[in-house]
Amino acid sequence: MKLTKDQLQKVILSGIGFVVLVYVYFTFFLGPLNKSRDSMLATINDLQTKIGASKNEMHNAITLEGQAAAATNRFAGLKALSPEGAPIAWFPPRIKAFFAKQNIEKSSTRLDNSSAFKQSELSAWMKNTWQIDLPQADFETLGKAVAQLENTEPLLSITRVNIKLAAEDPQFQQAALSASTIMVKR
Amino acid sequence: MALHLNLLHEEISEHRQRQRDPLKIGMIALGIFGALMFGYYMWNAYQTLGIKGRLTTAQHDWEKIEPAVVAAQKRADELNGIIGTTKVLDGMIDTRFYWAPFLETLARCVAPNAQLTSLDGLVLDDNKGISVTVEGVAAGREPRAAAEELRQLLLEQIGQDHKDVKVEFKTLEDLDTIANLGGANMAMARYVLNVAFNPFPAAKPDASAAPRTAKEKPE
Repeated sequence: MKLTKDQLQKVILSGIGFVVLVYVYFTFFLGPLNKSRDSMLATINDLQTKIGASKNEMHNAITLEGQAAAATNRFAGLKALSPEGAPIAWFPPRIKAFFAKQNIEKSSTRLDNSSAFKQSELSAWMKNTWQIDLPQADFETLGKAVAQLENTEPLLSITRVNIKLAAEDPQFQQAALSASTIMVKR
Repeated sequence: MALHLNLLHEEISEHRQRQRDPLKIGMIALGIFGALMFGYYMWNAYQTLGIKGRLTTAQHDWEKIEPAVVAAQKRADELNGIIGTTKVLDGMIDTRFYWAPFLETLARCVAPNAQLTSLDGLVLDDNKGISVTVEGVAAGREPRAAAEELRQLLLEQIGQDHKDVKVEFKTLEDLDTIANLGGANMAMARYVLNVAFNPFPAAKPDASAAPRTAKEKPE
């Protein structure tokens, strides 16, 4: 069948119309719809993954809460060893009272230095070094007091002990202790 | 055969031409194709609406549990922090050196004829060990032997509890002074002992282990 010029024009026009229709359909209708659907599916997958993971996380948190009970109590106990306020305000009186209770009446405590810990776990804690002078103590009483101090102050560590005869009173010794303490930053 | 005259052939031809009009056929084809595409679009739109419903449900579920999840995450972080800090602190507590038992050992080793005049003890940096300088005087027929007895006893006693024990004389010299012990005059010697030992474990102790405690000195 041979097409006339007029018919050929119409065939071409129809072809153009078809192409335009397909273009408009995919570009402005089906394309955005599919894009939106894919995006929603991706969001649903993401949410479902998050919901699944969060259920695990909540379960783990509950398990951890149970496992950490001992650590939490211990942590609270250790934290309670550092009262509110600057350590220089409460630590020397506490040590003075401690040694007085141990029958060592004369004692003085001064802060040598304070520094932060390198460990990230102890970022909220400070290391303080103290000089404790006991100018009049007998060896046995001193030994018992040191034992008591080491047992009752877990965050205190004696790093240096110096004991010598008291020149003016030979029955007593002069003692100087360097102690480092771990305290909560205030 | 009868003669058949078609007087309307022009009209019939025009009618046939109109029926075969490519534009009209194209329009019909386009219409059918458009209808198919519309149907397909509607089907997709319907499915998308279903997916949107699922999305809304999922979002609603997530909104319901999100605060609890955030709180759980925060609490888990906090607990992990507490566990980590407690572990490090317990490690430090467990690796402390307790001076009281050492002072007790030292007191036990000192015989009446070997008096101590000073003691200087130090925990070396990074818990490498303990260094103690003990100064004193010994009296006896052989004051140097009395000092040596003290050294031997310290070596033996400290060695029972700690490793890498060294007890060495830094100084041991005779004194001109005479001491009266139990009514008898005895010669005297002055000594300086360097005591070194390592009470720290090589491996890090288990944090869950019960912390050591210093023994109190007996009366």
